[in-house]
Amino acid sequence: MSAADGTLVADAPGAEREFNVPYVTRVEGEGSLVLRVRDREVVEARLKIFEAPRYFERLVVGRTGDEVIDIVARICGICPIAYQMTAVHAFEDLYGVDVDPAIRSLRRLLYCGEYIQSHALHVFLLHAPDYLGYPSALAMAADHRAVVEQGLAIKKIGNQLISALGGRPVHPISVRVGGFSHVPRRQDLDAVRRALDDAAVWSKATVSLVASWDPPAFEHPLPLVALRHPDEYPFNDGRIVSSDGIDIAPGAWGDAFEEIHLEGTNALHARTHDGEVYLLGPTARVSLAADRLHPLAAAALEATGLRDAIRTNIHRSIVARAVELLHACAEARDIIDEYRPPREPRVPFTPRAGIAAWSTEAPRGLLHHRYETDARGHVVHAQIVPPTSQNQGAIEADLAAFAPSVLDLPQAEAVHRLEMLIRAYDPCISCATHFLDLRIVEDGA
Amino acid sequence: MTHLAPPSVRLLVCGNADRGDDGAALSAVATLLPSLPSALLECLEVRRCGHLRVEDLTDVRSGEIAVIVDAAVGIPPGHVVILPIRQILAEADSPAPRSSHELPIDQVLGLAQVLRPGGLPEGTFVGIGGRRFGYGRPLSRSVRLNLPAFQAAIAAELARLAHVPGGPAPSG
Repeated sequence: MSAADGTLVADAPGAEREFNVPYVTRVEGEGSLVLRVRDREVVEARLKIFEAPRYFERLVVGRTGDEVIDIVARICGICPIAYQMTAVHAFEDLYGVDVDPAIRSLRRLLYCGEYIQSHALHVFLLHAPDYLGYPSALAMAADHRAVVEQGLAIKKIGNQLISALGGRPVHPISVRVGGFSHVPRRQDLDAVRRALDDAAVWSKATVSLVASWDPPAFEHPLPLVALRHPDEYPFNDGRIVSSDGIDIAPGAWGDAFEEIHLEGTNALHARTHDGEVYLLGPTARVSLAADRLHPLAAAALEATGLRDAIRTNIHRSIVARAVELLHACAEARDIIDEYRPPREPRVPFTPRAGIAAWSTEAPRGLLHHRYETDARGHVVHAQIVPPTSQNQGAIEADLAAFAPSVLDLPQAEAVHRLEMLIRAYDPCISCATHFLDLRIVEDGA
Repeated sequence: MTHLAPPSVRLLVCGNADRGDDGAALSAVATLLPSLPSALLECLEVRRCGHLRVEDLTDVRSGEIAVIVDAAVGIPPGHVVILPIRQILAEADSPAPRSSHELPIDQVLGLAQVLRPGGLPEGTFVGIGGRRFGYGRPLSRSVRLNLPAFQAAIAAELARLAHVPGGPAPSG
């Protein structure tokens, strides 16, 4: 039941209401939100993903490592490199492949490209409209043209970087077990190197800009999980660590976590073996590995004074994302400056039977792959654990904690606040999450 | 005497070959291009877009004409539609390219309209209605049967916009 203006009104004691958001739009997948409230307390918050299963884990069975790399890239048009990197590291770890340091740097550079385009898209085109009070980037562009143009310009530089290394900006095709099918000459990177100077300046300004935006008040710390490396900001390598003391090898995800199937969703959830939900992504990385940020990004983060706020309020993820955007621009610049092409683009390897498992940091968080191979290196079983499926539990926990603060707001504003919280996660089922409709169903006492 | 260069036409080929009818434009253009007259090919710039992005449209230079080819939603499977690009934005219920991912297609076109000097590029959207877009699926029968008509429409639009006789499109 709601008042004429849509304000949610108090009910009789024991009455139960269901906030039913039947279709989450602007998503690659399909999902909905159900919030059930009793006596002004949220008793259920469920993000339902009803996109049809895509069977990628079955599609890669019988395939070699190189084929797997190209297939899993198709899981996402925004973060294909994360899938490629996780797979290639898994197979190389199993086969004992030591790649040339230049190859390792190029892979970090490729990951920088993905972070730049993915984070620029989210910060400027998907999340910024929430803070500036617009329903979309298009509406925002009328009044904040410079913000949109800058976002697109930075994003384009990320795409150029991916094209230079991977042959094309979406679903690149150069990553191979043992290296790359082709590596660039230094001069092939000159144009993007020059552009990165601008991107770094713009990204630094972006950190200050988004830090100045006031988020909804919310404090709900969750356990954080990310990779941590002794020398690098986490992209391709490092140990899986958590704010609760987990510290395991990147291939040992299953030692601490497990996938579970919950009714009403086609995406598997993930929990720790203790049943705890946890948070992945920029918030977790910036909190657990701030000391590994590029000096420019570390200084920008410090200047915001928001390091603690990022950790406890998911709405501040936009600041963490902007800090990582700056990090990726700055590290990409450094890598190109130091780049010397490897003697060979690819080193030979011998496939063998075993378990190929690894985790890397996709822009949205920890991504885990595990493949069982036969003696020819053909996959006989696969497990792919994307960050969004792991974050579903955290999203629902945050929604349950946040919802009471919107119950007295007009309906449109309440819906907007809930959408905004989901968007703060940059969920990969979405290119953004916008609800077409919100129905409030009285369930009765 | 100075000859004016023919109009430059940017062919934006959208879609994903792995996803059933989403690969219709890629299939059509792959076999169409070799059959086009060299005079037409010389003024063509072909870009494979995957999903259509704002940058694909804002990068179209002033004076350059765009032809977007893609599977379409909003029309029956196999039907071919030819629309001015600007009309897609003007009419909310008009058929539209299917392949956008980062942003919905109305946002992609709208942002390009706002950000590109001169607004959306002049040009045409040539689409074919798709039936199924699942991973690993081949083109549907509706699309396969009408692929020659789709190719003929693309060839005719390229020839018209480039002011070059295009000749008949391949029939098979």
